[in-house]
Amino acid sequence: MHEIFGIWNWLDAVIRILIIVLVMTVVVMYLTYGERKVVARLQQRLGPTRTGPAGLLQPLADAVKLVGKEDLRPANADRWVFELAPYATFIPVLMVLVTLPFAEHWGVRSLPLGMFFVFAALGLNIVGIMMAGLGSGNKYALLGGVRAAAQMISYEIPLVLSLLAVAMVVHGSIDGGPEINGSLDLQVITRLQSDYPLIILQPLAFIIFFTAMLSELHRAPFDIPVAESEIVGGYFVEYSGIRWSMFQLTEYASMWAFSVFGSIVFLGGWEWPFGHDVGWAYQLLLTTIKSLLFIMLIFWLRTTVPRLRIDQLMSFCWKVLLPMSILQLLMNGFIRVYDLPNVFLSLTSGAGAVGLVAFIVFRAFTRPKKTASLVGAYRQAGVNVR
Amino acid sequence: MTVWPDESVVPGHAGGFDTVDMTINIGPQHPATHGVFRMALTVDGEVVMDCEPYIGYLHRGLEKLSEANDYRQAMGFWDRTDYLAGMCCEGAYCMAVEKLAGIDVPERAEYIRVMMMELSRINSHFMFLGAFGADVGSFGTSFIYAWRERERIYDFFEEVSGDRMFPTYFRPGGVAFDLPENYESRIRWLISSIRQGIDDFDGLLTGNEIFVERCRNLAPMTVERAVNLGLSGPVLRATGLDWDVRKAEPYSIYDRFKFAIPVGVQGDVFDRYHVRISEMFQSTLIVEQCLDQITEGLVLNPNLPKNLRIEKGECYVRTEGTKGEYSVYALAKGGNKPYRMKLRSPSFCNLSALREMVIGSYVADAIIILGSLDIVLGEVDK
Amino acid sequence: MSEKTATGHSFKQVPNSALTEKLKRALTGIEVEYRETSTDVDLLVSPANFGRVVRELNERKELSFDYLRNIAGVDYVKEGLAAVYHFYSFKQGHAVQVTVPTPLGAPHVPSITSTFAAADWHEREAAEMVGLVFDGHPNPKNLLLEEDLRIHPLLKAHPLQKVEILQGIEENDPGFKF
Repeated sequence: MHEIFGIWNWLDAVIRILIIVLVMTVVVMYLTYGERKVVARLQQRLGPTRTGPAGLLQPLADAVKLVGKEDLRPANADRWVFELAPYATFIPVLMVLVTLPFAEHWGVRSLPLGMFFVFAALGLNIVGIMMAGLGSGNKYALLGGVRAAAQMISYEIPLVLSLLAVAMVVHGSIDGGPEINGSLDLQVITRLQSDYPLIILQPLAFIIFFTAMLSELHRAPFDIPVAESEIVGGYFVEYSGIRWSMFQLTEYASMWAFSVFGSIVFLGGWEWPFGHDVGWAYQLLLTTIKSLLFIMLIFWLRTTVPRLRIDQLMSFCWKVLLPMSILQLLMNGFIRVYDLPNVFLSLTSGAGAVGLVAFIVFRAFTRPKKTASLVGAYRQAGVNVR
Repeated sequence: MTVWPDESVVPGHAGGFDTVDMTINIGPQHPATHGVFRMALTVDGEVVMDCEPYIGYLHRGLEKLSEANDYRQAMGFWDRTDYLAGMCCEGAYCMAVEKLAGIDVPERAEYIRVMMMELSRINSHFMFLGAFGADVGSFGTSFIYAWRERERIYDFFEEVSGDRMFPTYFRPGGVAFDLPENYESRIRWLISSIRQGIDDFDGLLTGNEIFVERCRNLAPMTVERAVNLGLSGPVLRATGLDWDVRKAEPYSIYDRFKFAIPVGVQGDVFDRYHVRISEMFQSTLIVEQCLDQITEGLVLNPNLPKNLRIEKGECYVRTEGTKGEYSVYALAKGGNKPYRMKLRSPSFCNLSALREMVIGSYVADAIIILGSLDIVLGEVDK
Repeated sequence: MSEKTATGHSFKQVPNSALTEKLKRALTGIEVEYRETSTDVDLLVSPANFGRVVRELNERKELSFDYLRNIAGVDYVKEGLAAVYHFYSFKQGHAVQVTVPTPLGAPHVPSITSTFAAADWHEREAAEMVGLVFDGHPNPKNLLLEEDLRIHPLLKAHPLQKVEILQGIEENDPGFKF
């Protein structure tokens, strides 16, 4: 008791949290800059170039502008709900960041139920979004809030199931200690990936996690709640200045949190490939590179893909992702109970992943008159487009 | 809005909930409505129950102004109707005046006019591709791809006439000045760049699974209903009727060119998109044929009077504008000003069919259907 | 039309004389005057006969005008208002213009929205621009102008410059009555 609640422990926790908050602010600011540059390059233009060398001071300029804006509140908005919504959305993300291990001793606190805590906290995000949607007194915001809530609640389920399937199969022993068979502790999961990352064992779970993650983040192609060209901003349409920037902060911070989380669980975090004997600098570097890979993938998808409609999104979740994740869980349980070697895990999961991708491709090809053959068909006119 | 079902109040509703339809107002300031246009959608959840379009926000009094200005002065108003393809509108207007007055156009001027009109058509269709891609969701990428080619076409228009968007370049009796000296190499380069741009769009959108899912089977239309509603242009051709004013009632020198007319099958949103992208390619073929066939000579009829007075005349000149049949009904009763000039704009007629197409679909789809009609508010509101 | 034009060239007659024959055969018994514009055959029909003429144009097999292109309202100051219709036939490939002159003070024309759905918006626009009244139109509201405005801008008597009247800025009597 004395060790947990001693004054030095509290001080240590506070300092770590402060560091995390500072790092998060800088990371989020430069993620917005990075997104603008990457998306611009993919669209054959340059992105910010004038503010500072190569536009590097652009996030600061944005921050200064946003702080200086007038704090508007619509007359028929519910005052406290409207004002507290940005904070309600942001705090769960901060709670998640507190439990993630960026390197071996570089998280704030490491919980034995780390993974479980992460999903539970992320679910609280939805409350903040509903508050924003309902409290704005605006029909567009209401539409956006409702769409967002439906989408996020539905996609939580495959997300959780696929991560639980992964937690089930993690096994090995740390430093010759007792054999661990399944764990929710993020530190343990990372340590047990010293030989090979978990993505090799569970590719299907990775695909499901990635898709569900895009949906939780409201990123393309699942960005219908913030569909700019339809309901101009969705649930945050009535916010301006600092409050709006809190929503953006939440979005990028949760993108960062999810990327770090994904790289820890699936790509081996700081442990693979060099093991944990290298110094903390290398470990941090590895985590950074892996999470940047995720982030680049998210940006790339945003630039290329149009958005799904709400009913297509929901049917994809409930009819495709949910059965696949339940099957994955069942297969893992089956393999573990009968103590089959790990190679079966990757075989079944790999077969599932290939099956999922093939199913989508197959659907694209069996439309009445293949659409793939229409690419380039514009050169022969008079062609009956079916 | 009561939440718990009250047996005595709600006999008709399925679940027993007493719900109220919500009215959402889309526009007039909205990134998706392609201009100042307002739709009041009555929505039950996400399904559109009723749609009432309100137009007239851009009404500038085109016809009244044309009656108060000279035949040559009035042209300045007409290329601002379809502002994305100014040269096509100027062409229609000049042909109307020429029909009224019986003015002939030299052959070189006809070739120049056709080239400029087809390049304007390509320009307008690129704008459609950019805006439509944005409506469907790939927001920035479509716009930038479209703008790359449009900037090149606008640069060429600036070299030819001095102005990018509203080049009052055509005159009754020909065109104002000749093309610049290096026009042939410039246009050939421009065409190869345009074809590359069409390829890029094709790769980005046509085979894209999500795009096809959104657009396929959305608002299909039969030929009979489309004809009765007065639709024209790519919207009508997507239903399967291969009618193009350039082939059915040829004007200018369009009967000298070989080009095909793309048609669709069901008249849904995907077919309209595909018809337009095919049309762009056909337009590049026409421009190439113009370059091969163009003759030397004058570009403006040398016998024009200083002050064009028309004693009596009435005509209805139809052309294939970029959105459909762009026609001018002109009436002259003496003097140097027209008596009545009516614009039959394709976007006005296509837009009147919006209500029928949108009812029963989702809100997100209503935006896409509006985008697929490809309206330009300058012509709708005159 | 004059034979010689402003530039000294002769008119090329575009209209189709075969079409005039077909029309005369189909519309025997109805009082119709046949004219020609530079581009089309023009039928002059009174408002009373207009409904019958449109029915014949639409239903007769050899005419089959199924496409309404345009409705224009024209203000012939002394002779009243006129509505000008343009039809096209996809099956036969011919086009016709129908002019319906209305007497001064009684600008009523039967509406053809039941036959041609395209007529809806065109008739609303003609009604608000020159003041024609289309009897039987399902939704006779203003289209391009504001809902409560009852002026007719395209009338020759309506002034072009006096915008201030509508905004209530001009205090003196503008000398124009609505």
